[in-house]
Amino acid sequence: MKFHAPLAVLLSAMATCAWAQATSNAAINVTAVAMFLAFVVVTLGITYWAAGRTKTTSDFYAAGGGITGFQNGLAIAGDYMSAASFLGIAGLVYTSGFDGLIYAIGFLVGWPIVLVLIAEPLRNLGKYTFADVASFRLQQKPIRILAASGSLVTVIFYLIAQMVGAGKLIELLFGLPYEAAVIIVGVLMTLYVTFGGMIATTWVQLIKAILLLSGASLMAFLVMMQFGFSFENLFAEAVKVHAKANAIMAPGTLVSDPISAISLGIALMFGTAGLPHILMRFFTVKDAVQARRSVFYATGFIGYFYILTFIIGFGAIILLLKNPAYFTDGALIGGANMAAIHLSQALGGDILLGFISAVAFATILAVVSGLTLAGSSAISHDLYATLVLKGERDEKKEIRASRIATVCLGVIAVLLGIVFEKQNVAFMVGLAFCVAASANFPILLLSMYWRKLTTRGAVIGGGLGLFTAVILVVIGPTVWVDAFGFEQAIFPYKYPAIFSVSAAFIGIWFFSITDKSASAAKEQAAFDAQFVRSQTGIGAAEAAQH
Amino acid sequence: MHTETIRQLPEYAALTRARKKIMWPLSLATIVAYFALILTIAFNPTALGNPIGAGVTSIGMVLGLGVILFCMVITGLYVYYANRVLEPLTRAIVQKAGEQS
Repeated sequence: MKFHAPLAVLLSAMATCAWAQATSNAAINVTAVAMFLAFVVVTLGITYWAAGRTKTTSDFYAAGGGITGFQNGLAIAGDYMSAASFLGIAGLVYTSGFDGLIYAIGFLVGWPIVLVLIAEPLRNLGKYTFADVASFRLQQKPIRILAASGSLVTVIFYLIAQMVGAGKLIELLFGLPYEAAVIIVGVLMTLYVTFGGMIATTWVQLIKAILLLSGASLMAFLVMMQFGFSFENLFAEAVKVHAKANAIMAPGTLVSDPISAISLGIALMFGTAGLPHILMRFFTVKDAVQARRSVFYATGFIGYFYILTFIIGFGAIILLLKNPAYFTDGALIGGANMAAIHLSQALGGDILLGFISAVAFATILAVVSGLTLAGSSAISHDLYATLVLKGERDEKKEIRASRIATVCLGVIAVLLGIVFEKQNVAFMVGLAFCVAASANFPILLLSMYWRKLTTRGAVIGGGLGLFTAVILVVIGPTVWVDAFGFEQAIFPYKYPAIFSVSAAFIGIWFFSITDKSASAAKEQAAFDAQFVRSQTGIGAAEAAQH
Repeated sequence: MHTETIRQLPEYAALTRARKKIMWPLSLATIVAYFALILTIAFNPTALGNPIGAGVTSIGMVLGLGVILFCMVITGLYVYYANRVLEPLTRAIVQKAGEQS
């Protein structure tokens, strides 16, 4: 494993950066830099160890299937709790109170759906990607191309949002130039995934989840301690301090009209069940029982985390608004998204600030690694293995393809991160959820539960959902007006999910029931065998034990 | 063992019945709870701002945090039911399938 060369280059590059930094900026936070370097050293060490254990495609995509339900639950939480949701929701609570809660709830409500409808059949039918399940009884080629496109679009939008966020955050926290920050993130995630595959990615998620949950718990504890652990006291003090006063206790401007409200709800709820990097995690456990256990723990951790984030947002209202040191020209330094970071300083001085900064950084790295792995598996397992290898099983070639794909995705992520530096990318996470809900989720759900689904229906309907989602976002207010600068949006709503998800379901239904071809009849007849396996797990490949 | 033979097993019929009995009610409960909140936010936002008691804590805050806890309870209920009801049936089917193959 050629692991040492890039490692040495990276470490020396970072040492140079740190040195240049230390000489140019005396106010650098030593705790933050030390903690960050410790995280990098530990995770690269794990990657080195994981590289020696990554020999087969099963190791690379699914960590050999040897992860326990509890570990996987924590890793799912690690994959899902992004820095964007930690800093973004805390920032939204800080600016408008209740509105932050709307997002927090939306990010959680998809999980019971994942558990009850998706997790167990997914584990019983699939091997490495959700396209395995979608194409189980349908034609391999068109379905895998569609599923891989849906995955890649979701992954790329999500990646851009994370990369730009990462660059800005690191620029602000460590004083590094934006480009350098984006490159460091890109290089580290590429190293984790290329050499350590799913084993390294899982451990990065686990460490990050533990760090983030303990950091956020500590902050929420310190906030609640000041208010006698009473929400009423916390809210009362916040209402007194905040400019919007009592209005922070009620819905504000986040969702203004019913269509947008319902649309946002649909995207968040069903998008969760269509995120490729989350779905992929279910193949790392032994069987459906462990898959079920994973979601139970993940939902607990994620729900707990959003409650913490909510408390942190309110803590920021009370502790920051009273202190002019955190403001320049009446605005919070670094914008509302920095509320949680400033609050850590207000609560625990430079040491807690350093800790939380490093945690935020670790969070970004973990999320982008999971995304990159999902993207590269879509390319190697769904596209390369089906289109180029044409079903011929060649593990070495497939792993090599996924490593090349990982490096390419790393480069693309860095370039897009730099291109989108000046853009408002907040809408991209919403777009990723919208595409996941409109393309990936309908195909996956109907392939598992609807006998009459055919290849033609899935391809036309899924494609319709994918294109409708992307086009309506582009001609809607967030891109057409805010990014392109046109005066009036062609499509009036910010969130198009209600239209694109309906388009997908109606398209799949119509083009399936009108499909009278011989292959369609065969696909429908194959449903019974598939359903037996999805319910009982009989026939699902026994995963290797580590 | 052939798919048809498994489908004829009484345990298989019991399993699909038991799963249907828990799957749709829990999914619907989650969807209804969430969209009830979302629709109230859309159509009657001021109602959510009313305080629940003598203090400032609003109905919306309580309902919002309630939905988060509700999601955790739903997953707990499902896992409890699955371990007690679905798992023994699945094991019985797998065992019978193994004996006859």
